[in-house]
Amino acid sequence: MAYAPWMGEPLDTWFTREVLTHERALMRFLHRNWRDHDEVEDLRQEIYVRVYEAASRRFPDSPKSFLFTTARNLLADRVRRQRIVSITAMGDVEQLHVLKDELEPERWCSDREALMHLAWALDRLPDRCREVFWLRRVEDLPHKEIARRLGISVKTVEKHIAKGLRLMTNDLHMDRKPKIAPAPATRARELAREPS
Amino acid sequence: MSSESRQIEQTAAALLARRDAGEWSNRDESALQAWLAKSPAHRVAFLRMEAAWKETARLKTLAAGSTHARVPPRGEWARSPYFATPIGHAPAVARRSAPRSRARRWPTVAAMAASLLVVAGIAGGLLWWRNAGHVEYGSWQTAVGGRQVVHLTDGSTATLASDSDLHAAFARHERNLDLVRGEAFFEVAHDRKRPFVVHANGYRVIAVGTRFDVRRSDDGVRVVVMRGVVRLQSSRDSAASTTDLPAGSIALVNHDNLVVRHVPLAEVAQYLSWRDGYVVFHDTPLADAIQEFNRYNNHKITIADPALDELRVGGNFRLDNSAAFVRLMQEVFPVRAEERGDTVLLSRRNIRAHGPD
Repeated sequence: MAYAPWMGEPLDTWFTREVLTHERALMRFLHRNWRDHDEVEDLRQEIYVRVYEAASRRFPDSPKSFLFTTARNLLADRVRRQRIVSITAMGDVEQLHVLKDELEPERWCSDREALMHLAWALDRLPDRCREVFWLRRVEDLPHKEIARRLGISVKTVEKHIAKGLRLMTNDLHMDRKPKIAPAPATRARELAREPS
Repeated sequence: MSSESRQIEQTAAALLARRDAGEWSNRDESALQAWLAKSPAHRVAFLRMEAAWKETARLKTLAAGSTHARVPPRGEWARSPYFATPIGHAPAVARRSAPRSRARRWPTVAAMAASLLVVAGIAGGLLWWRNAGHVEYGSWQTAVGGRQVVHLTDGSTATLASDSDLHAAFARHERNLDLVRGEAFFEVAHDRKRPFVVHANGYRVIAVGTRFDVRRSDDGVRVVVMRGVVRLQSSRDSAASTTDLPAGSIALVNHDNLVVRHVPLAEVAQYLSWRDGYVVFHDTPLADAIQEFNRYNNHKITIADPALDELRVGGNFRLDNSAAFVRLMQEVFPVRAEERGDTVLLSRRNIRAHGPD
């Protein structure tokens, strides 16, 4: 049976097409506006849940701005919850700016660029994982054949694929040269942490 | 990352890998559905990984020149033919029709251009020849559902849509193309001394260096301009009816009536999405949407009830999967589909069962 969840789930299709495609811009926004980069993936996950739940009641007219509004609200909530927020900090949060390029349509990414990015992400996988992923996704070999070639169990092949997929999913939505320095907007969070 | 999010990601990835292994039973499927239903956090994590998994299907392109004997070392993909082509000549569509990889080394950059021509040629019958008068001729046809990138000798490319027929005759001072049937997208190599002229249905579309799409209809032509300027002329009296179309124009002309719309470039791109194998609808009447699918599929869809014509459809759809489209129509509209030999008949479904309205 060919599995296609979106056929019965217009919402899932919508989410994949209209929301997930902005992940790179979203990650950029979060990294810029949130100091603790370890928390960014959790924030992303929570934003997705909020957007998905809201869309299950009503599809937002403009998915991208809805996504970023949700992101901004979530960051603001988080800062509020610290309870020690000064007025200045709040002011900053309300103004967490979404850069113009984040609200513009995704820049058209050619097939060639997309493939380059994928190949880059593939090369970042650990050796064995990369080998398995190559044989599966590039050579299109069945799991059994991969297991035979590499002298490992079918279960191990599956584990490598799961791991490779997890790592690649995150890398796919990352800029190839990640920007490390957080922008001034991070101040909101820093201020929030200061005891009043 | 919290351990909870990590756990969810791991489970989502494991499920996808498990499903990819094959032998996916109904029980596996219901277990998956149950897990998804448990929490939207599960579902979004799964959708995210599933989208990435689909995206990785593109990696197959890398097989096009690789040897089967080994997994290439990191970074070697940079030498794959796909990346060796100069920008602007990327075989965006050829990759879909590329033959499965054979056991050979990645060829040198020099050998590349030739192999791409072969790849494009296999897809639909490439034919170039040169006669004594230094005129080069070529002709290409695509079947229903087909799509082909043609690299022309002047450096331009033409991408043929489904069920199309294009003839070319390049002389020293003129590049003439005849769109006999269907639709094609042109990326024209700049050459001021040799205008690039597409003839279709009694009209001439003239470009110097630009990107545009020409589509024949029964009685007219549609031109979509993506970059540069093209000149639209009637073949009958060129002086009287000449219109210059800048980028962002969508021109419809028939019986010498011309309508031009100017739209943002993002919207222009949607008219050209067929090159990637999908179509974008925005509030499109069902009848028009179906006509679009029928251009790409031998299995035709017919509307039995004219009342359905005006239903509005939105979204992106794969052109080669009209069955999925029909299924979706049945999910969201009061529509019933019925197989009748080579066609699918759409009729109105009784919706009283859903309660009073």
